[in-house]
Amino acid sequence: MPLAGSLDIRPLLEAAPTVTLADRELHVDDVDILQALFEIRVPDREAIVPPALNPTIPPVVTFLAYRAKDSAFGPFSLVQVRVTARAGVRPRAFLVSARCDNPALAEELSGSWGFRIDPGEVHLARFHDRVECRVLDDRRPILDLALIDPEPITGQDIQYPPGMHLARVQDAQGLRPRLVQVDTEYQFRRADRGRPQLGSFDAAAWGDDRLVLAEPVSASFSACDMTITAVRYVCNPDIPASEGTENVGNP
Amino acid sequence: MEFGIFIELSVPRPWTAESERDVYANALEQVRLADELGFDYVWAVEHHFLEEYSHSPAPDLFLTACAMQTSRIRVGHGIVACVPQYQSPIRIAERAAVLDILSGGRLELGTGRSATWTELGGFGANPDETKKTWDEFVRVIPKMWMQERFSWQGRVFSMPERAILPKPVQKPHPPMWVAVTSPGTEVDAADRGLGCLGLTPGGFSESEKKVNTYRARIENCDPVGAFVNKKVHTVNFLSCAEDGDLARRSGLRVASIFSYMASQLLSAKEVLPTHSYPSEGLLPALRRESGSPGDAAKSFKGVTMGTPDDVAAAIRQWENVGFDGINFIAQFMEIVPQQYVLDSMRLFAQEVMPQFKSSPVRQPVGVGAD
Repeated sequence: MPLAGSLDIRPLLEAAPTVTLADRELHVDDVDILQALFEIRVPDREAIVPPALNPTIPPVVTFLAYRAKDSAFGPFSLVQVRVTARAGVRPRAFLVSARCDNPALAEELSGSWGFRIDPGEVHLARFHDRVECRVLDDRRPILDLALIDPEPITGQDIQYPPGMHLARVQDAQGLRPRLVQVDTEYQFRRADRGRPQLGSFDAAAWGDDRLVLAEPVSASFSACDMTITAVRYVCNPDIPASEGTENVGNP
Repeated sequence: MEFGIFIELSVPRPWTAESERDVYANALEQVRLADELGFDYVWAVEHHFLEEYSHSPAPDLFLTACAMQTSRIRVGHGIVACVPQYQSPIRIAERAAVLDILSGGRLELGTGRSATWTELGGFGANPDETKKTWDEFVRVIPKMWMQERFSWQGRVFSMPERAILPKPVQKPHPPMWVAVTSPGTEVDAADRGLGCLGLTPGGFSESEKKVNTYRARIENCDPVGAFVNKKVHTVNFLSCAEDGDLARRSGLRVASIFSYMASQLLSAKEVLPTHSYPSEGLLPALRRESGSPGDAAKSFKGVTMGTPDDVAAAIRQWENVGFDGINFIAQFMEIVPQQYVLDSMRLFAQEVMPQFKSSPVRQPVGVGAD
């Protein structure tokens, strides 16, 4: 039978964001996105995603770094650390945590879409020979990675699966632990791919010290407009997503 | 119409000392019955590292066992991965020739390139390269079979002159196929004179377009071998019982668990931006078409599940699309009892198969839109 997640979410719930469901969207023009994927080595791969989700074979960590020169909240940089997963048969990514250099945006992402997000100093820089990303926590590097030798591709070749964010969702029935499905739409202007190169990754600083990066898989860069759409689905983290998903979007 | 069975050799957890042996034994029993009942083919897949989904890394060995226990059914070695990190084309030609000899000239060789990062990444293979390596492999393999001594200077493979032995029993060589999952591979198949082994039970109109493209192009092909294999097969799930509800329930359980297990694998396209895989291959297509445990009542059009009349009606639709063969997945993860699988095959052979075996060769008439 399919492998099922077994992550104990109780210790995570205390610090999980509280989400109030609303018909909010966040549109940002002219965003640079670096994505890098690495296979991970974990003794218990089921234990890295909640019971609602299924781990992939093999498990993969995805780094998603964004830089926007402007937005409704001003300029920002943001990095997400995610683990590939499945909700039923559908590709998803479970958010481990995120770092953002814009407190107002961080608050919005946390309260509307359940981003588990901490402050961080994020540097994302694109050159013709490489794209670099560094994240500092109180001047201490917690992530240093790069895309090497970018070559043009089309945006259609890149996949960013929806995120699944553990949160306490406030609705008519009270405050309930839920995985919030975060869908994002993209209009690509350019895209590149290259080799991923890891300098350092402090997994503990991102909230899960079991994530030991093993094999590099791929890296891509895109320049696009993006819209984080209103939440349509949440699911009970304790039961399979195929049974525990609720449609909370507008009809 | 021709009919085959498709063997995945999926092994559910918990894995005991006996579980893999039992799955292989059950599969061999299905193959022996298929041979008795008049099925035309048994196809055995090549997969690596696909936990539970398929424990079939050495299909030539499994098919040798099939050949030793049967007398008539053709043994489909496919899809054999034409990826140099998996194996050299020399080894494919050699092993396939041995299988052709041991089966008394019953080998069909299905070629392909893998669609999952789970497999390609495990071997350190570059997904960008697999279409190119497949192309070179399918050009050299028939030459290795036909030429007494062979040499090659290629892009991914070179060798000095040697006699590649043994030679197949079938002359000039066994029929060759290619797995068609990505859009456009039907054109590759046609241009090279290869049989079209469809692995995605897509919609009727989409399939009809592919078949028509294939049939038109193959008339002017430049075959990689000594002859053209013009056959076009598709794949489907088989569940046939007098109780149609039971058949559909059982068949959908197989299809659903197939989807669920396939979804846990990482497709090459999902983790690596590449033009080389314009679709995500067999697994997501079947996943999409056959629904999920979350909506288990869903099935795709033309599914071969139900009473003999239901199954015959579905086959008639695929025949009208232009297919001349269907290979069936009758079991997966041992999700239905072995006896049910055998009974389903028997009923199909008694009630359905004769309707298609006795009919003269039909021209495709089309079925219109989905």
